[in-house]
Amino acid sequence: MKETILKLDNVTKVYPNGTVANRDINMEFEKGEIHSIVGENGAGKSTLMKIIFGIEAPSSGTVTYKGKEVHFNGSMDAIEAGIGMVHQHFMLIPSFSVVDNIILGSEPKSGIFIDRKEAVRRTQELSDKYHFELDVIAKVSTLSVAKRQKVEILKTLYRNAELIILDEPTSVLTPQETEKLFEQLRQFKEQGHTILFISHKLEEVKKISDRISVIRNGVSKGTYKNEELTMEQLTNLIIGRDLEKDFDQFKTHEDFHDEKVLKVEDLYMERNGKPVLNHMSFAVKKGEILGVAGVEGNGQQELVKCLTGLEKTAYEGKITVCDKDALEMNVKQRRELGMAYIPEDRMGDGIAASLPISDNIISTYYDREDINGKFFMNQKAINKVADDLIDTFTVKTQDNKTAVGSLSGGNVQKVVVAREYNTIPDLMIAEQPTHGIDIGSAELVHHKLLELRNQGAGILLVSADLNEVLDLSDRIIVMFDGQIAGYFPDASKTNDQELGLYMLGARHQSEEEIGGALNA
Amino acid sequence: MPDTKKEREARNMLSITNSKVFDTVKILISICIAFIITFVILCLISEDPVNALVTILTGPFRKTRYLGSVIESFIAYAFAGLAAGILFKSGAFNLGAEGIFIISGVSVAAVACNPITTNPFLHSVLCILAGALTGGILMVIPSFLKAKFGTNEMVVSLMLNSIYSGISMFIIRNYLLTTTTNTVGSKDYLETAKIGYLYEPLRISACLILLIVCTVVLYIIMFKTKLGYQIRLSGSNPKFSEYSGINSFKLALITSAIAGVLAGMGAACQLLTQTSFYQPDKSLTGIGFSGMLLSMLGRNNPIGIVISAFLIKYLEQGTQVLYFVDRAVPSEIVAIVEGIVILLISSQYFLRGFREKKLLQEGLKKDA
Amino acid sequence: MLKTIFESLFTMKFLLSIVRLSTPILLASIAAFISSSTGIVNIAIESIMTFSALAGILGSYITQNAYLGCLIGLLIGILTALLIAFFSMKMGADAIFVGIALNTFADSLAIFFLYQIAGEKGTSASLMTPILPAVDIPGISSIPILGEIISGQYLLTYLCWIILIVLYILVYKTPLGMRMRACGLNADAAKTAGINVQVLQVLSLILSGFFAALGGMYLSLNYLKIFSKGMVAGQGWMGIAANGIANGNYGALLISSLIFAAFRAVSIVFNTSTIFPTDLVGTIPYFAVFVFVTAASIINYYRIKHGKVEEQ
Repeated sequence: MKETILKLDNVTKVYPNGTVANRDINMEFEKGEIHSIVGENGAGKSTLMKIIFGIEAPSSGTVTYKGKEVHFNGSMDAIEAGIGMVHQHFMLIPSFSVVDNIILGSEPKSGIFIDRKEAVRRTQELSDKYHFELDVIAKVSTLSVAKRQKVEILKTLYRNAELIILDEPTSVLTPQETEKLFEQLRQFKEQGHTILFISHKLEEVKKISDRISVIRNGVSKGTYKNEELTMEQLTNLIIGRDLEKDFDQFKTHEDFHDEKVLKVEDLYMERNGKPVLNHMSFAVKKGEILGVAGVEGNGQQELVKCLTGLEKTAYEGKITVCDKDALEMNVKQRRELGMAYIPEDRMGDGIAASLPISDNIISTYYDREDINGKFFMNQKAINKVADDLIDTFTVKTQDNKTAVGSLSGGNVQKVVVAREYNTIPDLMIAEQPTHGIDIGSAELVHHKLLELRNQGAGILLVSADLNEVLDLSDRIIVMFDGQIAGYFPDASKTNDQELGLYMLGARHQSEEEIGGALNA
Repeated sequence: MPDTKKEREARNMLSITNSKVFDTVKILISICIAFIITFVILCLISEDPVNALVTILTGPFRKTRYLGSVIESFIAYAFAGLAAGILFKSGAFNLGAEGIFIISGVSVAAVACNPITTNPFLHSVLCILAGALTGGILMVIPSFLKAKFGTNEMVVSLMLNSIYSGISMFIIRNYLLTTTTNTVGSKDYLETAKIGYLYEPLRISACLILLIVCTVVLYIIMFKTKLGYQIRLSGSNPKFSEYSGINSFKLALITSAIAGVLAGMGAACQLLTQTSFYQPDKSLTGIGFSGMLLSMLGRNNPIGIVISAFLIKYLEQGTQVLYFVDRAVPSEIVAIVEGIVILLISSQYFLRGFREKKLLQEGLKKDA
Repeated sequence: MLKTIFESLFTMKFLLSIVRLSTPILLASIAAFISSSTGIVNIAIESIMTFSALAGILGSYITQNAYLGCLIGLLIGILTALLIAFFSMKMGADAIFVGIALNTFADSLAIFFLYQIAGEKGTSASLMTPILPAVDIPGISSIPILGEIISGQYLLTYLCWIILIVLYILVYKTPLGMRMRACGLNADAAKTAGINVQVLQVLSLILSGFFAALGGMYLSLNYLKIFSKGMVAGQGWMGIAANGIANGNYGALLISSLIFAAFRAVSIVFNTSTIFPTDLVGTIPYFAVFVFVTAASIINYYRIKHGKVEEQ
């Protein structure tokens, strides 16, 4: 019998707005195991982890850690008790060095000063011990995503964490980097650490776990030994029905004569003397989805900003939208050419949280004739547009005057997508369109994108989720270090392993092959 | 049985959970708290606090002249409030109204002191136009710098306030200086420039009509037009308005120009009804800054701002009436009332717990 | 005439006046610096300076002890800072609006209290108020040039110099300072590292209030020896401007503050002659801040455009 390190009894979490995130969760975690917690986006995994890590307090139920009932009052208590967490969004300060990030909150001191020498020594020692190969004096802003994750893990080890929670750690990694991470996790396990692995990627869960707990709609669906479960059983537990994976059945194949809605030629931009976009060329055709794969921070954000006209830094090259030269155009002019854009940061860029849905849902076409009358805006028409879209996109809300900020993440994204969809775009730029939203909303977003595609719009899909890119795209380009590292004219003829090699820069196609991205 | 939409609306109308009702209740409670605190202060400094409070609240009604003085003097403040309101609503922290008032006053005085025309109506109009034009042009500077280069408009506009008052003094001293008194002030305005009363006892002048027209127009712009939509959008999330394709640069120029025009008109109204010559360090000081407070009191809503301006001026008149009988209470006590109300109504969480409890109860009722 | 004025710009007296004038601006700029280091915008520095300048004088008058008056002024400064903290953090009001409101009715409020005690609305000149001394440092005062600058300054100037050094050490060399900077750079990261962000933000506001209060009291209890309406005259804003230009760089913060002080000194020198119009000469320091702030933002704009820095 193994020792139980953490036990959850009837843990329930209700948020003040009435959302029940977790209901009567009972789980046990054994010392020295890799225990996965799986469930769809929005099933309540993250909330549960926040409760364990002391960021949220349970509404009812108890958490028992090492045999003692605990009431963590903030993450400080959890850290003190020996729990560490690697967050999905890295909790690092880019302008600080690796050392400073690691010691932050428990700094070695000599007198009243920070003992930097000691800090460097201890950090370096830890890094060496676990073969992390980190330059601990480097600034975090200079590190790759995978290295930043290592810094996060090192942070927990520095605080002597026995129980390490990893929240969707592979979502930012390539398959190859994921493999490396898994090796490390097994090593931690051997040294007696307990790992809580949160994921919605089932292959990975099957690969790494000793035991698996399933959460659905905030309710625990039991804990199982890995070998007891087949993939199908697991899927069934998670979704409660068979997974609709095949998007191809939703794709129609009309011939749009290879008309190009977006042509990017030789796009180049520099920052701090280094190219972030290094002579990129590609095109998006009518009625297709061009997927852009790549590890975060390889120029995707900059590419999207350049295309949409939001980039403040000067860039050169040629951007042609629907046969018009768009390089010198501002956001408005580009949108008038038929461009629509679903932004990654939906709360920051995509909505005005304090304004009602009706104001938010027309922001990109408020000057359209039917909405903006001769002198005054036509409130009736606005309400009608808003109500119709709320219906079609099944936005859960009382009415169209509700402030967008009070909706759930999935519903906010529906408002954003509804608005962009309603501009009837020729070119849709979709940046991480389903990032962090529940599976129902994600499915709707995917279907609407496919609908647009079938109607003849060209879609540029930029996503860090490889599965999303593979499932939806017709063609794929992989970005690495501001360049196109690989071009795949048929998305169905490649796989995540192959793309992963290009994402890492381990492989790079010839210029001729990549040239197909523009000329196909 | 699900409620019909009408029923639900009717019920919401009066419920504390309705946000409009909640806001109103919040403002009323804030005002009550402010007066309670004011009363405590009066108890400390005045020998007859009850009478003092009653006098402050009812004083202006004791004589028509007092009420007339409120009506006449609140106009410039209301204009300043409207100017600040449109800037704040668009998300701009341009605090330049103070300087704009002062330097627009120079233009007004320059036109008012010169026999440009003998037609009194035209002369007054030209004075107001001069103020409006000066304001409209100069208010744009900080907003332009902010929109183009990301300059800190708060610092820049405040520095410009000091610069403008220096320049105003310089111009008046060197080109328009009065010869009759010793103060730094302009010559007397010509009679044709002054704005007379339409109804003398209450001191109602064309300025009041101008203010009402401006308020209504501004209200319509804010809530019924494309421009107002753009202003609200960019005020509530500038990144979102940029994303949506709104030309934030153009918008900043337009809103600051409108604000400047309003401030300039306010300066003209104040000078041509309340003074007979212009003193840059006295005639208009403090109005622009007060406008920002009024805008916060009126929650950036044009009508709310005008009402706030009237109420604050009313209270100040009340303290002045009090001053005749009780010299212990200076008129600055109004600033305390104003400050408390502003702090409370701009607090999102003030009374929020109460409202959430009600919401929760309603939610439970719905379930049952 | 012109020649003598320009000559006077290179005299000892001029250098000394810069030192005298720099104290309140330096204190205002570190007040802005420390609050922004934890991510809190304190734009109420001007009003804190006003309140404390008055509270110091009134306190000193009532207790007939300048040091006790100074203590009361500090208390008022810190309380004002706490008021901002309360409304912006506990009550959910926008810190900028709270600051604008405070700044705007600072003068009225100050006059209200001045009137209660002095019976006057303009200055505290009628009150017999003990003030803080200037200090001669024996030994150093006999050294030429350096001695003249270093010795014989007001007490609060020395305190300001000490604070500048201590603050640097606090912010850049101690765990507390590192944690404060972490709050400003990424509050979520600080929180998950077990740091109580709110506590540090309140602390930084208290320090900000403390520094601003000293700046205000330097004006009333040392430099001018009375309180008069409008005496802060934008110096709090100059501190905020210096902090904006420095953008987190401590050295740049101090240098910008000194430059602003120098322009104040220039304006005073020019004012002693009649060949320049006094009205315009008085605007020189404000004009300097205007030019520097604008120039800094234009440079930053082009640095972003040319890919030298990322947009924030």
